[in-house]
Amino acid sequence: MRTSARLTALLAAFVVGSLALFLAAAAVASAQDPSASPGVDAAFPAASSDAASPAASPEVDQPGASSDVASPDAGSPAAPTPTPVPMKIPFELVAPTATPAPLIPGPTAPPPISHPSKGDQNTCYDCHASVDVHQETIAAQWQKSVHGQNGIGCADCHGGDPTSDRMGIAMNPATGFIGKPDRLASVGVCGSCHSDPNVMKQYGLPTDQYSKYWTSVHGQQLLKANDTQVAICTDCHGIHDIMKTTDPAAKVYPPNVPELCASCHADKAKMAPYGIPTDQFDIYKLSVHGKALLQDNDLRAPSCASCHGAHDAQPPTSDTVVNVCGSCHTTTEDLYKQSRHAELGPAAPKCWTCHGTHDVQTPSTKLFFHPTPPDYQCSTCHDLTNQTLRIQLTRFTNEADRRCDTCHHQDSDIYAQVAAIYGALNVAQTAYDGAQAKIDEAASYGMIVSDADVALSEAKTGLLKAQAAVHTTKLTEVAPPAGIARQKADDAAAMAQSKLDETVFRRSAMVIVVVILLMSMVALYLVKRRIEHRA
Amino acid sequence: MTADADLRPSPDLTPAPGGAGGWVESRTGIRELSAALLHVRIPVEARTMYFGGIALFLFMVQAGTGTLLALYYKPTPDAAYDSVVSIMSNISFGWLIRSIHHWAANLMILFVAFHLLRVFFQGAFKRPRELIWVFGVGLLGITMVFGFTGYLLPWDQRAYWATVVGTEIAGAVPIVGDALLVLLRGGTDVTGATLSRFFGIHVLVLPITLAILMAVHLTLVHQLGLANPKKIDPVPGPPTGPTRRFFPEYVLDELIAWYLIIAILVVLASIFPAGMEAKANPLETPPETKPEWYFLAVYEFLKMVPKLIGIGWPMVGLAILTVWPFLERSPEVLMRRRKLVVAFATVMLAAGLFLTGVGLGFFTIPAFLYFA
Repeated sequence: MRTSARLTALLAAFVVGSLALFLAAAAVASAQDPSASPGVDAAFPAASSDAASPAASPEVDQPGASSDVASPDAGSPAAPTPTPVPMKIPFELVAPTATPAPLIPGPTAPPPISHPSKGDQNTCYDCHASVDVHQETIAAQWQKSVHGQNGIGCADCHGGDPTSDRMGIAMNPATGFIGKPDRLASVGVCGSCHSDPNVMKQYGLPTDQYSKYWTSVHGQQLLKANDTQVAICTDCHGIHDIMKTTDPAAKVYPPNVPELCASCHADKAKMAPYGIPTDQFDIYKLSVHGKALLQDNDLRAPSCASCHGAHDAQPPTSDTVVNVCGSCHTTTEDLYKQSRHAELGPAAPKCWTCHGTHDVQTPSTKLFFHPTPPDYQCSTCHDLTNQTLRIQLTRFTNEADRRCDTCHHQDSDIYAQVAAIYGALNVAQTAYDGAQAKIDEAASYGMIVSDADVALSEAKTGLLKAQAAVHTTKLTEVAPPAGIARQKADDAAAMAQSKLDETVFRRSAMVIVVVILLMSMVALYLVKRRIEHRA
Repeated sequence: MTADADLRPSPDLTPAPGGAGGWVESRTGIRELSAALLHVRIPVEARTMYFGGIALFLFMVQAGTGTLLALYYKPTPDAAYDSVVSIMSNISFGWLIRSIHHWAANLMILFVAFHLLRVFFQGAFKRPRELIWVFGVGLLGITMVFGFTGYLLPWDQRAYWATVVGTEIAGAVPIVGDALLVLLRGGTDVTGATLSRFFGIHVLVLPITLAILMAVHLTLVHQLGLANPKKIDPVPGPPTGPTRRFFPEYVLDELIAWYLIIAILVVLASIFPAGMEAKANPLETPPETKPEWYFLAVYEFLKMVPKLIGIGWPMVGLAILTVWPFLERSPEVLMRRRKLVVAFATVMLAAGLFLTGVGLGFFTIPAFLYFA
């Protein structure tokens, strides 16, 4: 009785203490870690060895024990479904208030270059195609380019009079000849036509690239620091050899984009002034996205531009990353928005927290836990100055630490929920893998396994739903599809096992039949010998 | 006078022995027929290697198993695939019947080819047996068409696309190609119409044609006897060397070979049952479509050379093969006295085997040798 009383008192003390901790934490407004330069809104940490360290450390709440924490056997489809209770965050979450620097407005696009025209006459080409090898190459490139194919001639970018074959007239500044525009001016030359709806309408092309460009880090750097090293139109699209983005030979054709970006961003010397890592391309190449795009030529897979933007290239920020990923992974995004994580607002774990950035790999149940629990220090989760909980985003730059138990201590209630989700998923996955192995074995014996394949595909559907439902962080969403997956996988395994049993019968019967046939052959041979002997 | 009295044998017939045999003999006269068929003599030096007899036996196996399969098979695009799956999964011993049918088809082509090579190298086609050869080549052709038409019937991806490719090759034949393609497919594409006509051809036209050709082939063999591979026999006339009985000695040898073939079929069917791919989908082209092994040499050759040559040369080759006995008219049968012919045939055979090996992925041909 005394022991029991002591335990009760201890438990009460723990509950009261926890409550006090929550209340205390709620009273403290989250403040941006002074060491975090860009804060949560900054670019998420690159998973690279030479990554800059955004180190945003907003203080966030450790939600209290939620009512849908299920028992460990809740992974079973027959387990009673806990009633979900809306989670209440016991204290306010304050998003970092760092405001981005205002954009420097870009210049207005100049009007398209005007010049005399006589139909298809282009005397520039006639001369320049035979000046020297360099000019000949340029002329040939232009002729094959999308501009050359659509009658956009030399004078449309360089000015002058293309109707005259006299240099003094054709290339005279008085006739509007501007020669080779410098890098800043060249943006305007491109923009003069490509921002003009009247010009672009006939080609069905958008006209916002020019204005978007000036909002990009490239354009802003050009405006802000007159930094002509940054990418301009011709760096990506080419100069005289411009091709459509749908042309596989174009540098901007999606599978060619990563290498195009890497031509600058993997160059240590070029990136040194900006302090930007240079190993993104090498990392991306090995990611699930990189393999799909570069190896499988799967145009659905994202290139650099898919996440960072093309003309308006920016690093995706922590608060927009869900939208960036969700532009393709729409269902997963919807599920994430139902999650406890999403309720934490801007300071919440985002897609990259678990999946990484350039190094996204095929997810698996290994994302749940470290092989051995991490060595938690008080300071791992708490700000020692005020004991509040906090998320250290930099802890997820290392792939090995993108695990649930990086944040959720094994003694916590949420850990139990994570373990239950893991259990439900793992049971389904194990059943699926076992059924697949049995089906493969039966198929290797030449058995028709189409019925088992159908059951397994249903199991796969359930498993995928369960895996996607993990983004809700709710066992109530994960357990039902995981249960269906396990049930269907068990059905498939049973079908495959019956095929394996059948192969045993077939082989046994085969041995008996072959022995009878061999004995018959021996008997016939003996009969023949006897007949021959008699003859 | 009663009706029975009218049907009694005429008194000048030889009285039949008693018992059941006598009863049958008195009503059929089969003794004389069987004596004519079986009691013949063959040269002691004849070496048939039983290839022809095995091919005959495999045809009988195909007829038997094919009849059983036809009881459950449904020749429509909607039902064909499922009916074959049902045969393999639900029908008692359906897997065995279909697998034996599958393997016997392959072995039949193999043994017909072996038989042809044996006859060629032994010079057994020479006068007066030219027509036996011509009908034999016809039997080889019919057997391959059997394989081609039967291949489509499971209506799975492999069947469908192999037929697409196969009929396209036929469609590339000069002048008549387009018409031939439409004739084979029953339209411009491989559809249910193709399946219906392939099924009809496979189970009606070809068996009857093959049975007639085989009857003529065997009758001629019976009438002219087996050739002696060691010496030139007088024409016309019976064998001049020592002979042995066709029945029962040779027939018993053949029977033992047939038993061996049954054992091989049972082992193949049990360990490597006939497979099924996914149901035919005209909208999903598989990454690689290849015909069956016996068409691989022609298929690879077609890839190497311009289409006209690729189509034309096998046709010319088949025509030359058919009339070969009228081209090689020397009575010599010994290979050492037919060195040029034997060397030419060996080179052609090696080339065919090599191309088949290329098709199976055993060898590769350097890119510069492709002229297509």
